[in-house]
Amino acid sequence: MSLLSLDGVSRVYATRRGLFGRPVPVRAVDHVSFSVAPGRTLGIVGESGCGKSTTGRVALGIERPSEGHVMFEGAPMPAPGTPGWRHMRARLQLVHQDPLGAMDRRLTVAAQVEEPLEIHGIGDKTERRDRVAALLRDVGLRADLAQRHPHELSGGQRQRAVLARALATDPALLVADEPVSALDVSIQAQVINMLTDLQEARGIAMLFISHDLKVVRQISHEVAVMYLGRVVEQGDPEAIFADPLHPYSRALVSAIPVPGPRRIERVVLTGDPPNPADRPSGCAFHPRCPVAVAACAQVVPELRHAADGRLVACHLVPEASLLKAA
Amino acid sequence: MLRFVATRLGRALLTITLVVTFAFIVLRLSGDPALIIMSPDAPPEALAAFREAWGLDEPIWLQYLKYFTAILQGELGQSFRDGRPAIELVAERIPATLMLTLPALALKVGLGIPAGMYAALHRNSMTDRVVMTFAVAGFTVPSFVLGLLLVLVFAVQLGWLPSGGQDGWRSVILPVIAMGLGGAGVLARFTRSAMLEVLGQPYIRTASAKGVPWGLVVRGHALPNAAIPTVTVVGFMVGSLMAGAVVVESVFSWPGVGRLMVVAVANRDLAVVQCILLLVSATMVTSNLIVDLLYGVLDPRLRGTAPAGGGH
Amino acid sequence: MPTPLITIRDLRVSFHGLPALRGIDLDVAPGEAVGLVGESGCGKSVTWLAALGLLPRTATVTGSVRLGDRELLGAPPSTLDRVRGGRIAMIFQDPATALNPVKRVGVQVAEALRLHRDLHGGAADAEVLRLFDQVGIPDARRRVHIYPHEMSGGQNQRVMIAMALAGQPELLVADEPTTALDATIQAQILDLLRRLQQETGMALVLISHDLGVVAEMCRRVCVMYAGRIIEQAPSDALFAHPRHPYTTGLLAALPDMVGPKRRLEAIPGGVPEPWNMPPGCAFAPRCAHATAACDAAIPGFVPTGPEHVAACIHVESLAMVPA
Repeated sequence: MSLLSLDGVSRVYATRRGLFGRPVPVRAVDHVSFSVAPGRTLGIVGESGCGKSTTGRVALGIERPSEGHVMFEGAPMPAPGTPGWRHMRARLQLVHQDPLGAMDRRLTVAAQVEEPLEIHGIGDKTERRDRVAALLRDVGLRADLAQRHPHELSGGQRQRAVLARALATDPALLVADEPVSALDVSIQAQVINMLTDLQEARGIAMLFISHDLKVVRQISHEVAVMYLGRVVEQGDPEAIFADPLHPYSRALVSAIPVPGPRRIERVVLTGDPPNPADRPSGCAFHPRCPVAVAACAQVVPELRHAADGRLVACHLVPEASLLKAA
Repeated sequence: MLRFVATRLGRALLTITLVVTFAFIVLRLSGDPALIIMSPDAPPEALAAFREAWGLDEPIWLQYLKYFTAILQGELGQSFRDGRPAIELVAERIPATLMLTLPALALKVGLGIPAGMYAALHRNSMTDRVVMTFAVAGFTVPSFVLGLLLVLVFAVQLGWLPSGGQDGWRSVILPVIAMGLGGAGVLARFTRSAMLEVLGQPYIRTASAKGVPWGLVVRGHALPNAAIPTVTVVGFMVGSLMAGAVVVESVFSWPGVGRLMVVAVANRDLAVVQCILLLVSATMVTSNLIVDLLYGVLDPRLRGTAPAGGGH
Repeated sequence: MPTPLITIRDLRVSFHGLPALRGIDLDVAPGEAVGLVGESGCGKSVTWLAALGLLPRTATVTGSVRLGDRELLGAPPSTLDRVRGGRIAMIFQDPATALNPVKRVGVQVAEALRLHRDLHGGAADAEVLRLFDQVGIPDARRRVHIYPHEMSGGQNQRVMIAMALAGQPELLVADEPTTALDATIQAQILDLLRRLQQETGMALVLISHDLGVVAEMCRRVCVMYAGRIIEQAPSDALFAHPRHPYTTGLLAALPDMVGPKRRLEAIPGGVPEPWNMPPGCAFAPRCAHATAACDAAIPGFVPTGPEHVAACIHVESLAMVPA
């Protein structure tokens, strides 16, 4: 029973090429399907232009998919702006990279953490006060910081405040878009630990979007690798990061600099990440792929199950069912 | 590119049309020209004859239509006072106004921009503070107050310079200063903040790290970037070359377009007022158009496409 | 160590009376790759900005930075202008904003050639093309005429590197050169830097908060904390046997890509503010092994192995405790 599921979701934007060109449709997200079970974390990794942030927004219901469906708690996601959608905000929350930008300069931390409770009419004044105090404790913010303003706190403290606010309505799903990217290593560790603890304590599901594979490995139960709007590999993080099957995942994982000996030979890709407005034919990765063959430029590979159960979208990775037949 | 220019041009024409229409409405509704020109005691028949002669008894929408078609044909009407074509009246005053506004513009740019740059390069020093105080004083004191003060000191007390009228090169000095000082102050402040913003950018540090001497960093790297916002303000000032003189011309009894405007409005001399408005809005709109096009030259980011990311 | 190319002694920097660097001693040998690692505010960038005289006037800089036999601190602007880009080049984070947006990239590189190698006109143009090829910018002939915003982040960084190489420097200081770039692009740029270092024989100082990047690229690593270097070691030794509690803490806080998943060990507390520096060891308030003696004085370097030093008075006893 999944909490959140995306089925064949695409998000197409109409943009103009240049200042006066013809309108060009850009597929930021292309036929993405996944589901998140309650209390589990799905990590989405990829580089600029891969569509992971857009996927997060569609999952939250902030944007409508151009194709496909989003189901949350067994029901279709209401359209943005409708009363049903507003009501649902309490169940889904977003945390993203810039905690200073996510908070109002003029309000104190306590006021901002209380705001969602006020909006959704949860409890009376005293109950809300107590709830805010409890939330701040849960995220490890000292009580005396509650009356401070966001710019008076450090980066890590701000991110905790944002998290406290996100948890105020006891959401079932947290979408975290690069929540620790702007933090130092030691603060990052504190916030990651806090997220895992909160997940265990409250059973919150998470969609964790990041470009940092190390962090995603640490926190995710399942991972999806995206490239130019499509999922190219999806499955168990241990399996994928130890032995990536898709050539892009391989290049991505091998690119991570690690102290000590390398597990995987580094694959250095040529060229730049592609422009979503200028999508290559067939497999979007084929122009940069070190092992591409003729078919790759012609046919878009579908996500299929590989031998160990993970999903891979590559013509060169044999499908599990075929192997069984052999 | 063609579309860019075409839309800008279209908007410019629309602006001019709106200004002229607005002026037409306000003037027609605000008083009876016949009464003003011919005095309130004039016999009713004379008033009626005047109105008929000038088409003022027709319904207002008809007057507008006639007026509009006339403009399109280049016919801007005649002055109620002396019957001469409005265009002639206005055109013969333009050189006088330019004699004030062009030097004033030169003063604004020549004093304001260097002062602002100097202040930015010596931020928080004594000079910076002094320059900025003067700049603020410059644009908070209204030009007519400044004008009257200058007259008081230099014409009345010291007797060095004439107090008004267009009479030799000496009479130009005070009006030009009265007009230019305020704008110089505005430009100084603006240039200073534009410059400070640019100097704080990472590419300035890159230039220094490359070994570019500081003087060249300012001239070659900072200035071209600071010019972009500054050009907007200067463009605005160029646009008011015609309009900006109204107050100062009145204080100094200078026979320019501004003075003519004041008199014409008081007399409800409709054709002249509309002609001047057309001139002023055309100047303003043209200079804005030029600034818009200039942006494309100064800032390559506004010209075309940007490519894929490659960075988060 | 052979005669060092750069010698930094007791470099101290403060802004409006608040200390940012509290005494740096560092040598860089010719051709060597040194990593400077630490979290934000530790002073790793300030060290090199101070050395090159790139800090604003509000900064007070004392100490000594010698390039060969010439003292750089307090040197006249004409000397510094020749050194910057000519003998020591520096590249920065976020190449998109580090390049002048209104000048074509070829022109920006040619400027360096004019300043340091007196190349003009056709000779300069040819050299710009050669540099673009050397840093791996494809279609160089066309790219020379475009503006920074028309290129991707990775390509912009290559232009920055080309600009830095133009003066044929003996040392390249790279301040977080790949932090703003995607992982696969980062791999390309690091690969490029390594190749260029081999080709030109120049020294490289790589500043980063990313321990992995520094481990890969540098032979020797210095860890900084609160304005001082607290540990210095050959890169393998540092990551295999860190000696300073801060380094150990940092490595324990880093999620791994390989090996069993473990709970991250976060270092409690935060970096001390400049106005609230502890009297002795700056890390003592957060250190699990701190004693009263730690507050008495700022610890000096204690040797703990070949070329391995750590600024901690308890280094010996901590080394005995199994990890």
